[in-house]
Amino acid sequence: MTDLTTAADPKAAAQIATAPLPTPQTLKMRKNLPYQFVRYASQNLRIMRMVIKGHH
Amino acid sequence: MSRIVILGAGVAGHTAALHLRRLLGKEHQVIVVSPNKLWNWIPSNIWVGVGEMSKEKVVFPLAPIYARKGIEFHQAKAVVLRPEGDTADPTGAVEIEYTEAGRSGEHATLRYDFLINATGPQLKFGATPGLGPDAGNTVSVCTADHAVHAAAELDKVIARMKAGEHLTLVIGTGHGTCTCEGAAFEYVFNVEHKVREEGVRDNATIIYFTNEAQLGDFGVDGMVFDQRGFQTTSKLWTESLFRERGVQAVLGAAATSIEADKVHYETIDGEMHELGFDFAMLLPPFGGVPMKAYARNGDDISDQVFNAAGFMKVDADYTPKPYEEWKASDWPSTYQTPGYNNVFAAGIAFAPPHQISRPMKSPNGTMIAPSPPRTGMPSGVMGKTVALTIVDRIKIGPQAPAHTASMARMGAACVASAGVGLQKGSAASMTMFPVVPDYERFPTGRDVNETRGEIGLAGHWLKLSLHYLFIYKAKAQPGWQLIPE
Repeated sequence: MTDLTTAADPKAAAQIATAPLPTPQTLKMRKNLPYQFVRYASQNLRIMRMVIKGHH
Repeated sequence: MSRIVILGAGVAGHTAALHLRRLLGKEHQVIVVSPNKLWNWIPSNIWVGVGEMSKEKVVFPLAPIYARKGIEFHQAKAVVLRPEGDTADPTGAVEIEYTEAGRSGEHATLRYDFLINATGPQLKFGATPGLGPDAGNTVSVCTADHAVHAAAELDKVIARMKAGEHLTLVIGTGHGTCTCEGAAFEYVFNVEHKVREEGVRDNATIIYFTNEAQLGDFGVDGMVFDQRGFQTTSKLWTESLFRERGVQAVLGAAATSIEADKVHYETIDGEMHELGFDFAMLLPPFGGVPMKAYARNGDDISDQVFNAAGFMKVDADYTPKPYEEWKASDWPSTYQTPGYNNVFAAGIAFAPPHQISRPMKSPNGTMIAPSPPRTGMPSGVMGKTVALTIVDRIKIGPQAPAHTASMARMGAACVASAGVGLQKGSAASMTMFPVVPDYERFPTGRDVNETRGEIGLAGHWLKLSLHYLFIYKAKAQPGWQLIPE
Protein backbone atom coordinates (compact mmCIF):
# COMPACT_ATOMS: atom_id res chain seq x y z
CA MET A 1 0.00 0.00 0.00
CA THR A 2 1.13 3.54 -0.78
CA ASP A 3 2.51 5.48 2.17
CA LEU A 4 0.22 8.51 2.40
CA THR A 5 2.98 10.66 3.95
CA THR A 6 5.35 10.14 1.02
CA ALA A 7 2.81 9.90 -1.82
CA ALA A 8 3.25 12.39 -4.67
CA ASP A 9 -0.36 13.51 -4.19
CA PRO A 10 -1.48 12.63 -0.64
CA LYS A 11 -5.11 13.61 -1.32
CA ALA A 12 -5.32 11.28 -4.33
CA ALA A 13 -3.53 8.56 -2.35
CA ALA A 14 -6.08 8.87 0.46
CA GLN A 15 -8.95 8.48 -2.02
CA ILE A 16 -7.33 5.43 -3.63
CA ALA A 17 -6.66 3.91 -0.21
CA THR A 18 -10.38 3.88 0.60
CA ALA A 19 -11.51 2.36 -2.72
CA PRO A 20 -12.93 -1.16 -2.50
CA LEU A 21 -10.56 -3.99 -3.33
CA PRO A 22 -11.80 -6.92 -5.42
CA THR A 23 -12.33 -10.11 -3.44
CA PRO A 24 -10.13 -13.15 -4.14
CA GLN A 25 -13.14 -14.72 -5.88
CA THR A 26 -13.51 -11.69 -8.18
CA LEU A 27 -9.81 -11.80 -9.04
CA LYS A 28 -10.09 -15.50 -9.78
CA MET A 29 -13.13 -15.02 -12.02
CA ARG A 30 -11.33 -12.27 -13.96
CA LYS A 31 -8.98 -14.97 -15.22
CA ASN A 32 -11.37 -17.94 -15.32
CA LEU A 33 -11.39 -19.03 -18.97
CA PRO A 34 -15.00 -20.32 -19.33
CA TYR A 35 -16.41 -17.34 -17.43
CA GLN A 36 -14.29 -14.88 -19.39
CA PHE A 37 -15.41 -16.47 -22.64
CA VAL A 38 -19.00 -15.74 -21.65
CA ARG A 39 -18.01 -12.17 -20.72
CA TYR A 40 -16.24 -11.81 -24.09
CA ALA A 41 -19.40 -12.85 -25.94
CA SER A 42 -21.48 -10.55 -23.76
CA GLN A 43 -19.23 -7.54 -24.33
CA ASN A 44 -19.26 -8.13 -28.08
CA LEU A 45 -23.06 -8.28 -28.06
CA ARG A 46 -23.26 -5.06 -26.05
CA ILE A 47 -20.99 -3.26 -28.50
CA MET A 48 -23.01 -4.55 -31.47
CA ARG A 49 -26.25 -3.44 -29.80
CA MET A 50 -24.76 0.01 -29.31
CA VAL A 51 -23.64 0.12 -32.95
CA ILE A 52 -27.13 -0.77 -34.16
CA LYS A 53 -28.83 1.56 -31.69
CA GLY A 54 -26.81 4.68 -31.97
CA HIS A 55 -24.54 4.95 -34.94
CA HIS A 56 -26.95 6.43 -37.48
CA MET B 1 -17.97 13.69 -62.52
CA SER B 2 -17.20 14.80 -58.97
CA ARG B 3 -13.86 15.12 -57.25
CA ILE B 4 -13.77 14.43 -53.54
CA VAL B 5 -10.58 15.36 -51.71
CA ILE B 6 -9.97 13.89 -48.26
CA LEU B 7 -7.28 15.43 -46.10
CA GLY B 8 -5.89 12.80 -43.74
CA ALA B 9 -5.85 9.01 -43.78
CA GLY B 10 -6.49 8.20 -40.15
CA VAL B 11 -9.62 6.48 -38.86
CA ALA B 12 -12.05 9.18 -40.10
CA GLY B 13 -10.38 9.99 -43.43
CA HIS B 14 -9.55 6.43 -44.42
CA THR B 15 -13.05 5.20 -43.52
CA ALA B 16 -14.60 8.00 -45.58
CA ALA B 17 -12.35 7.25 -48.55
CA LEU B 18 -13.17 3.54 -48.59
CA HIS B 19 -16.94 4.12 -48.31
CA LEU B 20 -16.90 6.83 -51.00
CA ARG B 21 -15.00 4.54 -53.35
CA ARG B 22 -17.42 1.69 -52.58
CA LEU B 23 -20.55 3.76 -53.16
CA LEU B 24 -19.55 5.96 -56.09
CA GLY B 25 -18.97 4.93 -59.70
CA LYS B 26 -15.51 5.09 -61.25
CA GLU B 27 -16.42 8.32 -63.04
CA HIS B 28 -16.03 10.08 -59.68
CA GLN B 29 -12.57 10.71 -58.28
CA VAL B 30 -11.70 10.00 -54.66
CA ILE B 31 -8.41 11.61 -53.66
CA VAL B 32 -6.62 11.17 -50.33
CA VAL B 33 -3.91 13.55 -49.14
CA SER B 34 -1.88 12.36 -46.16
CA PRO B 35 1.62 13.32 -45.03
CA ASN B 36 2.17 9.77 -43.79
CA LYS B 37 2.81 6.85 -46.10
CA LEU B 38 1.78 4.36 -43.41
CA TRP B 39 -1.59 3.69 -41.80
CA ASN B 40 -1.29 3.15 -38.04
CA TRP B 41 -3.72 1.34 -35.74
CA ILE B 42 -2.94 3.73 -32.90
CA PRO B 43 -4.71 1.85 -30.05
CA SER B 44 -2.13 -0.95 -30.35
CA ASN B 45 0.80 1.48 -30.04
CA ILE B 46 0.40 0.84 -26.31
CA TRP B 47 1.62 -2.73 -26.81
CA VAL B 48 4.47 -1.56 -29.05
CA GLY B 49 5.42 0.87 -26.26
CA VAL B 50 6.02 -1.98 -23.80
CA GLY B 51 7.80 -4.18 -26.35
CA GLU B 52 4.96 -6.71 -26.58
CA MET B 53 4.15 -6.05 -30.25
CA SER B 54 6.34 -5.07 -33.18
CA LYS B 55 5.85 -1.86 -35.12
CA GLU B 56 5.19 -3.89 -38.28
CA LYS B 57 2.03 -5.31 -36.72
CA VAL B 58 0.43 -1.89 -36.21
CA VAL B 59 1.26 -0.18 -39.52
CA PHE B 60 0.91 -0.90 -43.24
CA PRO B 61 1.56 1.15 -46.39
CA LEU B 62 -1.41 3.08 -47.73
CA ALA B 63 -0.37 3.38 -51.38
CA PRO B 64 -0.96 -0.30 -52.40
CA ILE B 65 -4.43 -0.28 -50.79
CA TYR B 66 -5.40 2.93 -52.57
CA ALA B 67 -3.94 1.68 -55.89
CA ARG B 68 -6.03 -1.51 -55.59
CA LYS B 69 -9.22 0.41 -54.72
CA GLY B 70 -8.81 3.12 -57.37
CA ILE B 71 -8.23 5.94 -54.90
CA GLU B 72 -5.72 8.64 -55.88
CA PHE B 73 -3.13 9.13 -53.15
CA HIS B 74 -0.87 12.10 -52.56
CA GLN B 75 1.69 11.80 -49.78
CA ALA B 76 1.51 15.44 -48.85
CA LYS B 77 0.18 17.86 -46.26
CA ALA B 78 -2.50 20.46 -46.87
CA VAL B 79 -1.29 24.00 -46.26
CA VAL B 80 -3.91 26.34 -47.74
CA LEU B 81 -7.65 25.97 -48.16
CA ARG B 82 -9.56 28.07 -50.69
CA PRO B 83 -13.21 27.07 -50.16
CA GLU B 84 -14.45 29.70 -52.65
CA GLY B 85 -11.73 28.99 -55.19
CA ASP B 86 -9.52 31.81 -56.44
CA THR B 87 -9.66 34.60 -58.99
CA ALA B 88 -8.98 32.12 -61.80
CA ASP B 89 -11.63 29.54 -60.86
CA PRO B 90 -14.52 29.53 -58.33
CA THR B 91 -14.10 25.80 -57.67
CA GLY B 92 -12.85 25.05 -54.16
CA ALA B 93 -9.17 24.23 -53.92
CA VAL B 94 -6.61 23.00 -51.48
CA GLU B 95 -2.90 23.66 -51.79
CA ILE B 96 -0.68 20.81 -50.73
CA GLU B 97 3.01 20.34 -50.02
CA TYR B 98 4.48 16.92 -50.72
CA THR B 99 6.25 15.00 -47.95
CA GLU B 100 7.07 11.99 -50.13
CA ALA B 101 10.78 11.21 -50.52
CA GLY B 102 11.98 12.73 -53.78
CA ARG B 103 9.13 15.27 -53.98
CA SER B 104 9.53 16.83 -50.53
CA GLY B 105 8.65 20.53 -50.53
CA GLU B 106 6.99 20.41 -53.96
CA HIS B 107 3.60 22.22 -54.07
CA ALA B 108 0.41 21.45 -55.98
CA THR B 109 -3.19 22.66 -56.07
CA LEU B 110 -6.08 20.19 -56.01
CA ARG B 111 -9.57 21.39 -57.02
CA TYR B 112 -12.49 19.69 -55.34
CA ASP B 113 -16.26 19.42 -55.47
CA PHE B 114 -16.33 18.06 -51.93
CA LEU B 115 -13.69 18.27 -49.22
CA ILE B 116 -13.35 16.28 -46.01
CA ASN B 117 -10.89 17.64 -43.48
CA ALA B 118 -9.82 14.62 -41.43
CA THR B 119 -6.31 15.79 -40.69
CA GLY B 120 -6.33 14.52 -37.11
CA PRO B 121 -4.21 16.13 -34.43
CA GLN B 122 -1.06 18.16 -34.47
CA LEU B 123 0.98 16.74 -31.59
CA LYS B 124 1.89 19.93 -29.73
CA PHE B 125 4.91 18.79 -27.74
CA GLY B 126 6.14 22.38 -27.88
CA ALA B 127 3.28 23.49 -25.59
CA THR B 128 5.28 22.36 -22.53
CA PRO B 129 9.04 23.02 -22.48
CA GLY B 130 10.93 19.73 -22.22
CA LEU B 131 8.00 17.57 -23.35
CA GLY B 132 8.39 14.88 -26.00
CA PRO B 133 10.88 12.42 -27.41
CA ASP B 134 12.47 14.70 -30.02
CA ALA B 135 13.44 17.91 -28.23
CA GLY B 136 12.33 16.93 -24.74
CA ASN B 137 12.89 14.57 -21.86
CA THR B 138 9.88 12.28 -22.08
CA VAL B 139 8.77 9.45 -24.32
CA SER B 140 5.46 9.13 -26.17
CA VAL B 141 3.26 6.41 -27.67
CA CYS B 142 1.41 8.74 -30.07
CA THR B 143 3.06 7.28 -33.18
CA ALA B 144 4.44 3.82 -33.87
CA ASP B 145 8.00 5.19 -33.99
CA HIS B 146 7.48 6.99 -30.67
CA ALA B 147 6.23 3.72 -29.18
CA VAL B 148 9.30 1.81 -30.40
CA HIS B 149 11.48 4.43 -28.71
CA ALA B 150 9.37 4.26 -25.52
CA ALA B 151 9.83 0.47 -25.36
CA ALA B 152 13.61 0.82 -25.71
CA GLU B 153 13.72 3.41 -22.88
CA LEU B 154 11.48 1.22 -20.72
CA ASP B 155 13.86 -1.71 -21.26
CA LYS B 156 16.71 0.46 -19.97
CA VAL B 157 14.91 1.30 -16.71
CA ILE B 158 13.89 -2.35 -16.26
CA ALA B 159 17.57 -3.33 -16.62
CA ARG B 160 18.48 -0.76 -13.95
CA MET B 161 15.79 -2.08 -11.62
CA LYS B 162 17.08 -5.61 -12.18
CA ALA B 163 20.46 -4.27 -11.04
CA GLY B 164 18.81 -3.23 -7.78
CA GLU B 165 17.90 0.42 -8.31
CA HIS B 166 14.52 1.73 -7.13
CA LEU B 167 13.09 3.94 -9.87
CA THR B 168 10.09 6.21 -10.42
CA LEU B 169 8.01 5.83 -13.58
CA VAL B 170 5.63 8.69 -14.38
CA ILE B 171 2.97 8.20 -17.03
CA GLY B 172 0.18 10.54 -18.02
CA THR B 173 -0.54 13.91 -19.57
CA GLY B 174 2.09 16.54 -20.39
CA HIS B 175 -0.16 19.61 -20.40
CA GLY B 176 -3.24 20.91 -18.62
CA THR B 177 -5.45 20.56 -21.70
CA CYS B 178 -4.45 17.12 -22.98
CA THR B 179 -6.97 14.60 -24.22
CA CYS B 180 -6.77 10.78 -24.65
CA GLU B 181 -6.33 10.09 -20.92
CA GLY B 182 -7.50 6.55 -21.77
CA ALA B 183 -4.23 5.97 -23.65
CA ALA B 184 -2.16 7.11 -20.66
CA PHE B 185 -4.31 4.92 -18.40
CA GLU B 186 -3.64 1.94 -20.67
CA TYR B 187 0.06 2.60 -20.80
CA VAL B 188 0.45 2.95 -17.03
CA PHE B 189 -1.16 -0.45 -16.43
CA ASN B 190 0.73 -2.11 -19.27
CA VAL B 191 3.98 -0.79 -17.80
CA GLU B 192 2.91 -2.02 -14.35
CA HIS B 193 2.12 -5.44 -15.87
CA LYS B 194 5.47 -5.48 -17.69
CA VAL B 195 7.60 -4.65 -14.63
CA ARG B 196 5.67 -7.26 -12.64
CA GLU B 197 6.32 -9.89 -15.31
CA GLU B 198 10.00 -8.88 -15.30
CA GLY B 199 10.12 -9.49 -11.54
CA VAL B 200 11.03 -5.92 -10.57
CA ARG B 201 7.66 -4.54 -9.42
CA ASP B 202 8.99 -3.91 -5.89
CA ASN B 203 11.67 -1.64 -7.33
CA ALA B 204 9.22 0.58 -9.19
CA THR B 205 7.13 3.48 -7.97
CA ILE B 206 4.54 3.97 -10.71
CA ILE B 207 2.65 7.25 -10.85
CA TYR B 208 -0.27 8.20 -13.10
CA PHE B 209 0.08 11.95 -13.67
CA THR B 210 -3.08 13.50 -15.08
CA ASN B 211 -4.98 16.69 -15.79
CA GLU B 212 -8.20 14.91 -14.76
CA ALA B 213 -9.63 16.33 -11.52
CA GLN B 214 -10.51 12.80 -10.45
CA LEU B 215 -9.69 9.29 -11.56
CA GLY B 216 -12.14 7.76 -14.03
CA ASP B 217 -12.96 11.08 -15.71
CA PHE B 218 -11.35 9.99 -19.03
CA GLY B 219 -12.22 13.35 -20.59
CA VAL B 220 -15.91 12.44 -20.67
CA ASP B 221 -16.83 13.76 -17.20
CA GLY B 222 -16.73 10.24 -15.78
CA MET B 223 -19.47 7.66 -16.02
CA VAL B 224 -22.15 6.13 -13.84
CA PHE B 225 -22.37 2.36 -14.12
CA ASP B 226 -25.20 0.06 -13.14
CA GLN B 227 -23.47 -2.83 -11.38
CA ARG B 228 -25.25 -5.69 -9.64
CA GLY B 229 -28.26 -3.56 -8.79
CA PHE B 230 -26.30 -0.53 -7.63
CA GLN B 231 -25.17 2.56 -9.41
CA THR B 232 -21.45 3.13 -9.09
CA THR B 233 -19.09 5.59 -10.69
CA SER B 234 -16.10 5.22 -12.97
CA LYS B 235 -14.21 7.16 -10.25
CA LEU B 236 -14.68 4.46 -7.63
CA TRP B 237 -14.15 1.69 -10.19
CA THR B 238 -10.87 3.24 -11.40
CA GLU B 239 -9.63 4.00 -7.88
CA SER B 240 -10.20 0.34 -7.03
CA LEU B 241 -7.96 -0.72 -9.93
CA PHE B 242 -5.24 1.74 -8.83
CA ARG B 243 -5.40 0.37 -5.29
CA GLU B 244 -5.31 -3.23 -6.47
CA ARG B 245 -2.28 -2.63 -8.71
CA GLY B 246 -0.44 -0.26 -6.34
CA VAL B 247 -0.32 2.64 -8.78
CA GLN B 248 -0.20 6.17 -7.35
CA ALA B 249 -1.93 9.16 -8.94
CA VAL B 250 -1.31 12.89 -9.20
CA LEU B 251 -4.61 14.56 -10.07
CA GLY B 252 -5.55 17.91 -11.57
CA ALA B 253 -1.99 18.54 -12.69
CA ALA B 254 -0.78 20.79 -15.51
CA ALA B 255 2.86 20.16 -16.43
CA THR B 256 4.57 23.53 -16.87
CA SER B 257 8.09 22.39 -17.77
CA ILE B 258 10.05 19.17 -17.79
CA GLU B 259 13.72 18.74 -16.97
CA ALA B 260 15.78 15.60 -17.61
CA ASP B 261 14.67 14.06 -14.32
CA LYS B 262 11.76 16.08 -13.00
CA VAL B 263 8.45 17.55 -14.07
CA HIS B 264 7.33 20.92 -12.74
CA TYR B 265 3.59 21.28 -12.48
CA GLU B 266 0.73 23.37 -11.21
CA THR B 267 -2.34 21.94 -9.54
CA ILE B 268 -5.93 23.21 -9.58
CA ASP B 269 -5.37 25.01 -6.26
CA GLY B 270 -2.66 27.12 -7.94
CA GLU B 271 0.20 25.48 -6.01
CA MET B 272 3.43 24.71 -7.88
CA HIS B 273 5.12 21.32 -7.40
CA GLU B 274 7.82 19.11 -8.83
CA LEU B 275 7.99 15.38 -9.29
CA GLY B 276 11.19 13.43 -9.98
CA PHE B 277 11.23 10.60 -12.49
CA ASP B 278 13.54 8.06 -14.08
CA PHE B 279 11.16 7.30 -16.95
CA ALA B 280 8.27 9.45 -18.14
CA MET B 281 5.68 8.92 -20.86
CA LEU B 282 3.62 12.07 -21.06
CA LEU B 283 1.12 12.75 -23.82
CA PRO B 284 1.12 16.09 -25.66
CA PRO B 285 -1.91 18.33 -26.10
CA PHE B 286 -3.55 18.23 -29.50
CA GLY B 287 -4.07 21.13 -31.87
CA GLY B 288 -5.56 21.30 -35.32
CA VAL B 289 -3.14 20.69 -38.17
CA PRO B 290 -2.10 24.21 -39.21
CA MET B 291 -3.74 25.39 -42.38
CA LYS B 292 -4.64 28.84 -43.69
CA ALA B 293 -7.96 29.60 -45.37
CA TYR B 294 -8.53 32.34 -47.95
CA ALA B 295 -11.65 33.80 -49.56
CA ARG B 296 -11.86 34.13 -53.34
CA ASN B 297 -10.62 37.72 -53.16
CA GLY B 298 -7.58 36.64 -51.17
CA ASP B 299 -8.83 37.77 -47.74
CA ASP B 300 -7.60 35.62 -44.87
CA ILE B 301 -10.67 33.80 -43.48
CA SER B 302 -8.75 31.36 -41.27
CA ASP B 303 -10.48 32.73 -38.13
CA GLN B 304 -13.86 32.13 -39.73
CA VAL B 305 -13.09 28.54 -40.77
CA PHE B 306 -10.92 27.38 -37.85
CA ASN B 307 -11.08 27.98 -34.10
CA ALA B 308 -8.14 29.32 -32.07
CA ALA B 309 -6.68 25.83 -31.62
CA GLY B 310 -6.76 25.22 -35.39
CA PHE B 311 -9.75 22.86 -35.46
CA MET B 312 -12.34 23.35 -38.21
CA LYS B 313 -15.68 24.83 -37.22
CA VAL B 314 -18.71 22.75 -38.12
CA ASP B 315 -22.44 22.72 -37.29
CA ALA B 316 -21.93 23.00 -33.52
CA ASP B 317 -23.17 25.72 -31.17
CA TYR B 318 -19.98 27.58 -30.32
CA THR B 319 -21.67 30.21 -28.12
CA PRO B 320 -19.53 30.50 -24.96
CA LYS B 321 -21.56 29.41 -21.94
CA PRO B 322 -20.94 28.05 -18.45
CA TYR B 323 -20.72 24.29 -17.75
CA GLU B 324 -24.20 24.27 -16.20
CA GLU B 325 -25.71 25.43 -19.53
CA TRP B 326 -23.92 22.93 -21.77
CA LYS B 327 -26.33 20.78 -23.73
CA ALA B 328 -26.06 17.66 -25.82
CA SER B 329 -27.55 19.68 -28.68
CA ASP B 330 -24.45 21.93 -28.71
CA TRP B 331 -22.60 19.09 -30.42
CA PRO B 332 -22.47 18.87 -34.22
CA SER B 333 -24.32 16.20 -36.15
CA THR B 334 -23.55 16.76 -39.85
CA TYR B 335 -19.93 18.00 -39.55
CA GLN B 336 -20.59 20.48 -42.36
CA THR B 337 -18.65 23.73 -42.23
CA PRO B 338 -20.87 26.84 -41.93
CA GLY B 339 -21.21 28.65 -45.25
CA TYR B 340 -19.81 25.79 -47.34
CA ASN B 341 -22.12 22.84 -47.91
CA ASN B 342 -19.35 20.88 -49.64
CA VAL B 343 -16.75 21.13 -46.85
CA PHE B 344 -16.78 18.80 -43.83
CA ALA B 345 -14.51 18.06 -40.88
CA ALA B 346 -14.50 14.65 -39.22
CA GLY B 347 -12.63 13.02 -36.36
CA ILE B 348 -10.22 15.09 -34.29
CA ALA B 349 -10.18 17.80 -37.00
CA PHE B 350 -13.60 19.22 -36.09
CA ALA B 351 -13.82 21.92 -33.44
CA PRO B 352 -15.77 20.70 -30.40
CA PRO B 353 -18.16 23.25 -28.91
CA HIS B 354 -16.63 22.83 -25.43
CA GLN B 355 -15.10 20.19 -23.20
CA ILE B 356 -17.18 17.29 -21.88
CA SER B 357 -15.48 17.26 -18.46
CA ARG B 358 -16.13 20.12 -16.08
CA PRO B 359 -13.59 22.84 -16.92
CA MET B 360 -11.21 23.76 -14.10
CA LYS B 361 -8.98 26.80 -13.88
CA SER B 362 -6.30 27.39 -11.28
CA PRO B 363 -6.25 30.75 -9.44
CA ASN B 364 -3.36 31.64 -11.76
CA GLY B 365 -5.67 31.24 -14.76
CA THR B 366 -4.19 27.95 -15.97
CA MET B 367 -6.79 25.75 -17.64
CA ILE B 368 -6.59 22.24 -16.21
CA ALA B 369 -9.24 20.10 -17.87
CA PRO B 370 -9.22 17.26 -20.36
CA SER B 371 -10.15 18.16 -23.92
CA PRO B 372 -12.96 16.03 -25.33
CA PRO B 373 -11.87 12.75 -26.93
CA ARG B 374 -13.15 12.19 -30.47
CA THR B 375 -11.02 9.33 -31.66
CA GLY B 376 -11.66 5.68 -32.51
CA MET B 377 -15.23 4.55 -32.85
CA PRO B 378 -16.79 8.07 -33.09
CA SER B 379 -14.17 9.11 -35.66
CA GLY B 380 -15.00 6.18 -37.91
CA VAL B 381 -18.72 6.86 -37.62
CA MET B 382 -18.19 10.53 -38.51
CA GLY B 383 -16.10 9.55 -41.54
CA LYS B 384 -18.80 7.20 -42.82
CA THR B 385 -21.59 9.71 -42.09
CA VAL B 386 -19.90 12.47 -44.06
CA ALA B 387 -19.20 10.03 -46.91
CA LEU B 388 -22.90 9.08 -47.05
CA THR B 389 -23.89 12.76 -47.18
CA ILE B 390 -21.53 13.38 -50.09
CA VAL B 391 -22.78 10.29 -51.94
CA ASP B 392 -26.38 11.55 -51.61
CA ARG B 393 -25.44 15.04 -52.76
CA ILE B 394 -23.75 13.60 -55.83
CA LYS B 395 -26.51 11.10 -56.65
CA ILE B 396 -29.60 13.12 -55.59
CA GLY B 397 -28.37 16.68 -55.75
CA PRO B 398 -27.04 19.43 -53.48
CA GLN B 399 -30.43 19.67 -51.73
CA ALA B 400 -30.06 16.16 -50.28
CA PRO B 401 -30.19 16.38 -46.49
CA ALA B 402 -27.05 15.57 -44.60
CA HIS B 403 -26.71 12.31 -42.70
CA THR B 404 -26.25 12.85 -38.98
CA ALA B 405 -24.16 11.27 -36.23
CA SER B 406 -23.88 13.43 -33.13
CA MET B 407 -21.55 12.30 -30.35
CA ALA B 408 -24.52 13.00 -28.09
CA ARG B 409 -26.46 10.26 -29.91
CA MET B 410 -23.79 7.65 -30.45
CA GLY B 411 -22.09 5.25 -28.13
CA ALA B 412 -18.48 4.24 -27.87
CA ALA B 413 -16.46 1.38 -26.52
CA CYS B 414 -13.15 2.03 -24.85
CA VAL B 415 -11.14 -1.08 -24.17
CA ALA B 416 -8.20 -0.01 -22.04
CA SER B 417 -5.54 -2.69 -21.94
CA ALA B 418 -4.11 -3.37 -18.51
CA GLY B 419 -1.64 -6.07 -19.50
CA VAL B 420 -1.00 -8.49 -22.38
CA GLY B 421 -1.16 -12.27 -22.63
CA LEU B 422 -3.82 -14.66 -23.91
CA GLN B 423 -4.20 -16.10 -20.40
CA LYS B 424 -2.53 -13.47 -18.22
CA GLY B 425 -3.80 -10.36 -19.99
CA SER B 426 -6.37 -7.95 -18.67
CA ALA B 427 -8.28 -4.91 -19.77
CA ALA B 428 -10.79 -2.44 -18.45
CA SER B 429 -13.62 -2.50 -20.97
CA MET B 430 -15.94 0.47 -20.90
CA THR B 431 -18.95 1.16 -23.02
CA MET B 432 -20.78 4.44 -22.84
CA PHE B 433 -23.95 5.62 -24.45
CA PRO B 434 -23.96 8.38 -25.48
CA VAL B 435 -20.40 9.72 -25.55
CA VAL B 436 -21.56 13.25 -24.71
CA PRO B 437 -23.85 13.13 -21.67
CA ASP B 438 -27.43 14.16 -22.29
CA TYR B 439 -29.03 15.11 -18.97
CA GLU B 440 -32.36 15.85 -20.69
CA ARG B 441 -32.68 12.19 -21.71
CA PHE B 442 -30.91 10.41 -18.88
CA PRO B 443 -30.72 11.39 -15.18
CA THR B 444 -27.04 10.36 -15.02
CA GLY B 445 -26.30 11.81 -18.46
CA ARG B 446 -26.02 8.36 -20.02
CA ASP B 447 -28.08 5.20 -20.41
CA VAL B 448 -27.01 3.12 -17.39
CA ASN B 449 -28.01 -0.08 -19.16
CA GLU B 450 -25.50 0.54 -21.92
CA THR B 451 -22.82 2.30 -19.89
CA ARG B 452 -20.72 -0.40 -18.28
CA GLY B 453 -17.28 -1.05 -16.94
CA GLU B 454 -15.72 -4.45 -16.58
CA ILE B 455 -12.21 -5.68 -15.81
CA GLY B 456 -10.88 -9.06 -16.89
CA LEU B 457 -9.18 -11.27 -19.42
CA ALA B 458 -12.16 -10.97 -21.80
CA GLY B 459 -11.28 -7.30 -22.26
CA HIS B 460 -7.82 -8.26 -23.47
CA TRP B 461 -9.33 -10.69 -25.98
CA LEU B 462 -11.72 -7.95 -27.08
CA LYS B 463 -8.92 -5.44 -27.64
CA LEU B 464 -6.91 -8.05 -29.55
CA SER B 465 -9.97 -8.89 -31.70
CA LEU B 466 -10.47 -5.21 -32.47
CA HIS B 467 -6.79 -4.95 -33.45
CA TYR B 468 -7.11 -7.68 -36.09
CA LEU B 469 -10.63 -6.71 -37.17
CA PHE B 470 -9.87 -3.03 -37.78
CA ILE B 471 -6.58 -3.69 -39.55
CA TYR B 472 -8.47 -6.15 -41.79
CA LYS B 473 -11.09 -3.47 -42.44
CA ALA B 474 -8.51 -0.74 -43.08
CA LYS B 475 -6.76 -2.99 -45.58
CA ALA B 476 -10.12 -3.19 -47.42
CA GLN B 477 -10.02 -6.97 -47.45
CA PRO B 478 -13.14 -8.83 -48.74
CA GLY B 479 -16.25 -7.95 -46.74
CA TRP B 480 -14.54 -5.02 -44.93
CA GLN B 481 -17.70 -2.94 -45.16
CA LEU B 482 -19.56 -5.45 -42.96
CA ILE B 483 -17.33 -4.57 -40.02
CA PRO B 484 -19.00 -1.64 -38.28
CA GLU B 485 -17.10 1.51 -37.50
